[in-house]
Amino acid sequence: MTDKIKSPKDLLALREKAREAIALRSGPKEITITVHMGTCGIAAGARNVLASLSRSLEQEGVSNVTLRQAGCAGLCDREPMVTLSDKAGKEYRYGKLTDERVQAIVQKHVIQGSPVMEYLIGQ
Amino acid sequence: MVEKEQGCCCCEEEASEEELLARLDGIIQEYKDKPGALIPVLQQAQAVFGYLPDVALRKISLGLDKPYSEVAGVVGFYSFFSTHPRGKHMIRVCLGTACYVRGGKQVLDELKHRLSIDVGETTPDRVFSLDVARCFGACGLAPAIMIDDNVHQRVKPARLQQILDQYIDEDQARADKKAESKAKA
Amino acid sequence: MKTVHSHVLVCAGAGCVASGAHAVIAALEESLRKHNLNKEVELVSTGCLGPCAIGPVAVVYPDGVFYQGLKPEDAEEIVSEHLLKGRPVSRLNFKVTATAQIIPALQEINFFQQQQKIVLRNCGVIDPTNIEEYIARDGYQALARVLTEMTPEEVTDTVKKSGLRGRGGAGFLTGLKWEFTRKAPGDKKYVLCNADEGDPGAFMDRSVLEGDPHSVIEAMIIAGYGIGSDQGYVYVRAEYPLAVDRLQNALNQAREMGLLGNNIMGTKFNFDLEIRMGSGAFVCGEETALMRSIEGKRGEPRPRPPFPAIQGLWEKPSLLNNVETYANIPVIFNKGAEWYASIGTEKSKGTKVFALAGAVNNTGLVEVPVGTPLGEIIYDIGGGIPNNKKFKAAQIGGPSGGCIPREHLNVPVDYETLTELGAIMGSGGLIVMDEDTCMVDMARFFLDFVQDESCGKCVPCRVGTKRMLEIVTRICEGKGEEGDVEKLIALGQQIKDTALCGLGQTAPNPVLSTIRHFREEYDIHIREKRCPAGVCPALVRAPCMSACPANVYIPGFVSLVSEKRYAEALRVHRDSNPFASVCARVCFHTCEDKCRRSNLDDAVAIRGIKRFMVEQEVTIQLPEMRENETNAKRKVAIIGGGPAGLTCAYFLARLGYQPKVFESAPRPGGMLVQCIPAYRMPREELAREIRMIERMGVEIETNKSLGKDFTLQQLRDEGYEAVFLAVGAPAGAKLRIANEDAQGVYDSIEFLREYNLRGSAAIGKKVVVIGGGNAAVDAARTAVRLGAESVTILYRRTRDEMPAYKEEIEEAENEGVIIKTLVAPQEIVSKGGKVAGVRCNHMWLGDFDSSGRRRPQVREDGDSFVEPADQVIAAVGQSLDTKSLLGDLPVKTKLNGFVASDALYGRTSLDWLFAGGDTADGPSSVAEAIGAGERAAVGIDLYLTGEEHAFWRETFDVDTEFDPDADPSDAPRAEMKLLPEERRVHNFNEVEMAYTESVAVREARRCLRCDFRSCGTEKSASH
Repeated sequence: MTDKIKSPKDLLALREKAREAIALRSGPKEITITVHMGTCGIAAGARNVLASLSRSLEQEGVSNVTLRQAGCAGLCDREPMVTLSDKAGKEYRYGKLTDERVQAIVQKHVIQGSPVMEYLIGQ
Repeated sequence: MVEKEQGCCCCEEEASEEELLARLDGIIQEYKDKPGALIPVLQQAQAVFGYLPDVALRKISLGLDKPYSEVAGVVGFYSFFSTHPRGKHMIRVCLGTACYVRGGKQVLDELKHRLSIDVGETTPDRVFSLDVARCFGACGLAPAIMIDDNVHQRVKPARLQQILDQYIDEDQARADKKAESKAKA
Repeated sequence: MKTVHSHVLVCAGAGCVASGAHAVIAALEESLRKHNLNKEVELVSTGCLGPCAIGPVAVVYPDGVFYQGLKPEDAEEIVSEHLLKGRPVSRLNFKVTATAQIIPALQEINFFQQQQKIVLRNCGVIDPTNIEEYIARDGYQALARVLTEMTPEEVTDTVKKSGLRGRGGAGFLTGLKWEFTRKAPGDKKYVLCNADEGDPGAFMDRSVLEGDPHSVIEAMIIAGYGIGSDQGYVYVRAEYPLAVDRLQNALNQAREMGLLGNNIMGTKFNFDLEIRMGSGAFVCGEETALMRSIEGKRGEPRPRPPFPAIQGLWEKPSLLNNVETYANIPVIFNKGAEWYASIGTEKSKGTKVFALAGAVNNTGLVEVPVGTPLGEIIYDIGGGIPNNKKFKAAQIGGPSGGCIPREHLNVPVDYETLTELGAIMGSGGLIVMDEDTCMVDMARFFLDFVQDESCGKCVPCRVGTKRMLEIVTRICEGKGEEGDVEKLIALGQQIKDTALCGLGQTAPNPVLSTIRHFREEYDIHIREKRCPAGVCPALVRAPCMSACPANVYIPGFVSLVSEKRYAEALRVHRDSNPFASVCARVCFHTCEDKCRRSNLDDAVAIRGIKRFMVEQEVTIQLPEMRENETNAKRKVAIIGGGPAGLTCAYFLARLGYQPKVFESAPRPGGMLVQCIPAYRMPREELAREIRMIERMGVEIETNKSLGKDFTLQQLRDEGYEAVFLAVGAPAGAKLRIANEDAQGVYDSIEFLREYNLRGSAAIGKKVVVIGGGNAAVDAARTAVRLGAESVTILYRRTRDEMPAYKEEIEEAENEGVIIKTLVAPQEIVSKGGKVAGVRCNHMWLGDFDSSGRRRPQVREDGDSFVEPADQVIAAVGQSLDTKSLLGDLPVKTKLNGFVASDALYGRTSLDWLFAGGDTADGPSSVAEAIGAGERAAVGIDLYLTGEEHAFWRETFDVDTEFDPDADPSDAPRAEMKLLPEERRVHNFNEVEMAYTESVAVREARRCLRCDFRSCGTEKSASH
């Protein structure tokens, strides 16, 4: 990240590189889980969710998941929230997460491939 | 991920006043030539001392070459500045609209009752200070309170003690650790 | 055997049709026929359900299961598995919606689907701590184009053309501001960002800074190029530590990459940005104050002009926009000004982010095109009001804004419309308030806020708002005086005209707008010393009591029951309401809706406790009565022996009067005996309480009908000094459709009265009841008991909107009544003058009407259908024929035809005539009628003696034990048991069964005793 952008061309090149990097990063991993970490999410326990997710993934020996963070998704009432995007690029949003729910999502959705309907709040 | 460093004075409790004033000198030097330096310097000074003691204000006045009256006037204007020592943990109860509608006032009353202090006061053991605030932007999770830099959401009066205990326990654990390492040494 | 009753709604909107909805509908139809379900399952093709991208979609009701991406071959499985066996087909990726009702309530899907994200495009999508993610989503592309392809003039022109208006306040055109600053003379200029999001309730700026900080940075660099500035400041409030962190991190990254600093992207353009943190002063959101604060001074505003574009920060030309405004800028340059201008309304372009908070299901940030109706934001996206409460108003624009009541749910939310309604767009904080919010208290809250935050520089704001706060506080404390409201209006207007800055000028808005839309609430506080929402502490002994129209001392009798002191408990109840036994059965119990215990778990079952209490009564004790020979001699007539009239008689008797009641029916009791069926209101229970009133010296003469047997003038001639008119609203309203006069069409009052008074009524085989109120449900359940083979209720809105009590609707269904919603009768089908059915249209809910409910509208795509019937009972409202009652007497009536009377004493325009209950208020509840009767008694006494003697209104305490420090009982709410369906559908035995003693006592102990005052004195204000 030390390269300076010296022209619009540099910027375009960087955009392509960034897109590739993102694609590459999530490519072999197939599943991306985004934890929404705005003030409201953190207040509702998003940090715990992140920790719980990585613990759970580690325990289950799952390696095809990228964990990342992003800002607030807007629906404060259902915080803490994550967005799971599967290999087909389909997005699932889970809300009001607890340790138990995180485990269920890892077990059922990440490992077995079937979304946990009860906790879904939109797609 | 960026973790916010502890903004309060808890890590500074052992530092002597001279050390703190030396640190203030550093801050003044850093900002001295920047336009509009007074408020950032006051903010950082408050982070160092936990409040704004008179000696710090005088130093800032001299260091930035501003009349003391101007410095004091600015301190008096903004509600975040305090010239009295404050507790280890700053509790701010949001009384923004959403929190008010969802019962923020009851939360404040309960805190006053539990801590036996009023708004703007500090507990005799200097653990907690109580203040009110206008909206942390956590309206979706009202009522909210902020302790130090942590926002607690959907606070119910009945759950307050549990929240306060978290901070008391953490302090205790830290103190125990310190005592332990001292004992070892 | 209960008839299966399901609806399958298949979306036939353009999107779903394009993806094959018609084939799906045909396949479903065939499958239904195959399984013989076509009579029990109604297949409805609806207008667009919204989520077109995943169509064809269908919703199965009543369970609210949502299917998407349907193919014709899925139909068979849905029918055989779901509709036949009740198992939703999981293979089809279904989803259960939050509320299983007829109207699509795909709340959460709606929440995301109905938004259009420009400002929030990256929020929640990219990692805000990683600049590359921003760049991957076209970040800084707009800047690249601006710097290499556009002149500064083209930049400001583009913003101008987009029509973007400032998102923080009054909505000044952003492009114009940019142009002014560009043209302002001076070689040093500043670009400023207002991130001092101080309006309580708004948090979109925080969300953008936390979730997409680079969008603001990019926009500010573009602005710097546009106006010719090399230095910018972002002024962030100190309450947002995370936003400050993320923004600082983003600034560092941008600087590292050469996007800030000198020679940006290889051009000659230099620009840098710094963060300045606020220190907790609301006024610093005002532009001139904000600049002072950046300068390191007290954040006091100064008069404008000169405007910041000419003389701003350090007296240099400065451009100030807020976070949300800036976040639009990169998109405008990427997609074009024309594209942006195509969104929104004629005068207000683009989208607006609203922070939805308060009493709404989906709280959060919502971005919609400017001009979206308020109702859509609150109901479609926000998911409506939680806990079945009613929407009261939305406060928009924070302390500078105003409230919008439910009559205006349909207005487009844009700058002009809001200003017309006395609110402002402001920063877009949208606080939804339900019926539990007191508008006077709300106004007090905002005044307290601005008073506290007033910087004190100018007198109108400093002193004026303080004066207003004093008046409003006085009103909230029950010390309001006549004329206070006028004083508030005058003061408010003066502050608006004379205050120095925007904060001061808008400070009176919340008061003025609540007065404008909720004047009556101020009046009730001032005149009746009552807070109907149960909020203002000095006026509220306990919230349940504020909610009780009869003002019963509820915590008093409940706590006496908990100590098994039943006789005393009854005395407490009858002190304000004689009809303990009646109310134990038929009261709507608004008290329970306001019970504070519901914040903990569930409301105390007040009516259940009352029911147990009245069961313990052997002989009725008379209440405290004050003999008065003078009063006993004065003649008072009460016309109508219903709850209002009898209550009035009861209280007059307690003051020593001996009023006479004239009742037109053969038996007294009014609606209680004529319309409410015996399975809800056993007749002997009612008779006992009426006998009590008679024993108190009240004479009741039956079969005496006003207008037929006597006139008001005759009463006057006979020496009656005062008359209370409480005849109810005895006539059913007409359906106003063709063939209404066919044989077999009844109105519900007529039908119920016939059965209840004569003991028999003609009943058909297939009975159709039209309407959704209690009368409709009563008629339907009575028809079931009289042996109808099928009973169907038709209602034009959805089940949620049925005015009938929820429990009654459920029990009707349990007894086999079929409820069809979203259907409206179009005509009565008759054969040979006899009713044969009702032709109905399918309805959908359109825009919002003045009652704040969605207006039912005929669905153009749906065919009408005939609901077969040999008896039709219309229950579509009640009316009053004042002409036949009042004759030529000059008595004022209201627009809806009912008698006009005042809320305090029931006084009409004639000094000797009082009116109350349905006669004055239109159809209302039993408890409301009882309250009206009590007030009329006080009014009549005042009229006759010149003084009030209502000794029962004095506050008293009960001496029950209560330990305020003990934890409340953790028992769950006890529900009343019901007679099993098979033991009730063929008779009129009472359905509800009273608690046992142990259950009742346990339930009574759940009361939190909100009436308890430990210190005994009023709380003194501590700050």
